[in-house]
Amino acid sequence: MGIVIAVISGKGGVGKTTTTANIGLGIAQNGKSCVVVDFDIGQRNLDMLLGLENRVVYDMVHVMDENISIKQALIKSKMSPNLSFLAASQTKDKSVLDSAKINKLISSLKEDFDFVILDAPAGIESGYEHTIEFADRAIIVVNPEVSSIRDSDRAIGILDSKSQKVKNGEDVEKYLIINRINPQMVQSGEMLNSEDILEILSIPLLGKIPEDKAIIDASNQGKPIVLNESSSAGQAYKRVSARLCNEKVDFVDVETFNRGFMQKIKEIFT
Amino acid sequence: MKTRQYSIKVFEIELVDEGKFIAFFEKNYQFFQNHLIVINGKENKQIKEYLNSKELKHVFNLTLPKRVSDKSVNPPVPTPRKTTEKVQTNLKVIDKLIRSGQELKIDGDLLLLNRVNSGGTIIINGTLIIIQIVDGSIRCNGNFMMLQASHKANIVFHDVEVDNKYLQDKLKKVELINNEIVITPVLKETSWV
Ligand SMILES: Nc1ncnc2c1ncn2[C@@H]1O[C@H](COP(=O)(O)OP(=O)(O)O)[C@@H](O)[C@H]1O
Ligand SMILES: [Mg+2]
Repeated sequence: MGIVIAVISGKGGVGKTTTTANIGLGIAQNGKSCVVVDFDIGQRNLDMLLGLENRVVYDMVHVMDENISIKQALIKSKMSPNLSFLAASQTKDKSVLDSAKINKLISSLKEDFDFVILDAPAGIESGYEHTIEFADRAIIVVNPEVSSIRDSDRAIGILDSKSQKVKNGEDVEKYLIINRINPQMVQSGEMLNSEDILEILSIPLLGKIPEDKAIIDASNQGKPIVLNESSSAGQAYKRVSARLCNEKVDFVDVETFNRGFMQKIKEIFT
Repeated sequence: MKTRQYSIKVFEIELVDEGKFIAFFEKNYQFFQNHLIVINGKENKQIKEYLNSKELKHVFNLTLPKRVSDKSVNPPVPTPRKTTEKVQTNLKVIDKLIRSGQELKIDGDLLLLNRVNSGGTIIINGTLIIIQIVDGSIRCNGNFMMLQASHKANIVFHDVEVDNKYLQDKLKKVELINNEIVITPVLKETSWV
């Protein structure tokens, strides 16, 4: 039986979809079978980041409402045989989702994959509630800024009251990813540091992802940054994926700003 | 998250003479197995080790809400009524982080062992004690409040907004005395002889 993980944030644009794509592929590269599901109804994005944008024939709603099998709707990634993708519906009508149908869909995905990762929409409305409803775990993605922290705090509160697991008296395990860390700005005090964020949200840390310009290019090309060995964000996502596969991986400091070699030489002579 | 509430017996004792102190417990320690011993006086390693060896739970210099404020407080502050008279009996003890968007409504008194995050709210008609930082909003109509709040917080006591700058650096007690809000630090500064 697989593990269902919802990737949530409250606020939009903090890196949920980027995180979903990268840990999905990262987990697959660790040898586990994984399916990533786009729950951002009407906004289809994940297909693009995985380089699958023109391959979607059937989406989640076709599976739930019509006689399309999950097998027909799943798209296999070209980058790893262990990774599959299920697309969001492009419909603007967000009421298409209903709990019983989602439960059925997720239950059958759990039978076929080790990991089922759900990319939540922004906000805390019904689309969000449907994403967390049947999750075993949640990954909360934040940026080191107060509005993101506060929105995710809100999202966690809703998770802790509305998920099925909580209603059954169990706990939904929660893990934090701090994304878009800019070491220079952390050191100059312009960005919140991780300790403060962890204290406010009070959930364990899964990883810190630095700000990395290479992510834009990776997204445009549909090749998640985790494939790029020389990228700092790619390495960070690799470590996060290994941790999700229960490997012990030490935390790496991505907050200390390393001045360049030339800069140091200059300082010595000035 | 699991929370639990219970009452415990507290035994308060002043530490002046180490020898007498130990002699007392040597004779009576069985009586205090289920107590929390609050020792007023200078922290002392030997005493700690002794009490640990007897498996007696203890803390040094804990100011409990039942105690009268320090008499050495400057005279201009009106003397508060004894706190003991103000504590009601229906005290709830909760260890739950109050997150943004969450509202905790309490009928009675509350001891909160966790934080109140920005966007979280507590509405209470009794006495309120919060031992971690408050970033959110508080509406309290009780006899007194004991809390520490950041600049983000919004604290309203008996419909009057309390200026955060008086609540920021340490745990403060807020009470209403003769229709005036009086704020005093809970732990007094050490006064050197
Ligand atoms: N670590 C990062 N460094 C640089 N840019 C990033 C990083 N993470 C995300 N981004 C960019 O931020 C934008 C929003 O990311 P996305 O994953 O779509 O967020 P969400 O799904 O939460 O709305 C995208 O343009 C993405 O490329
Ligand atoms: Mg997204």
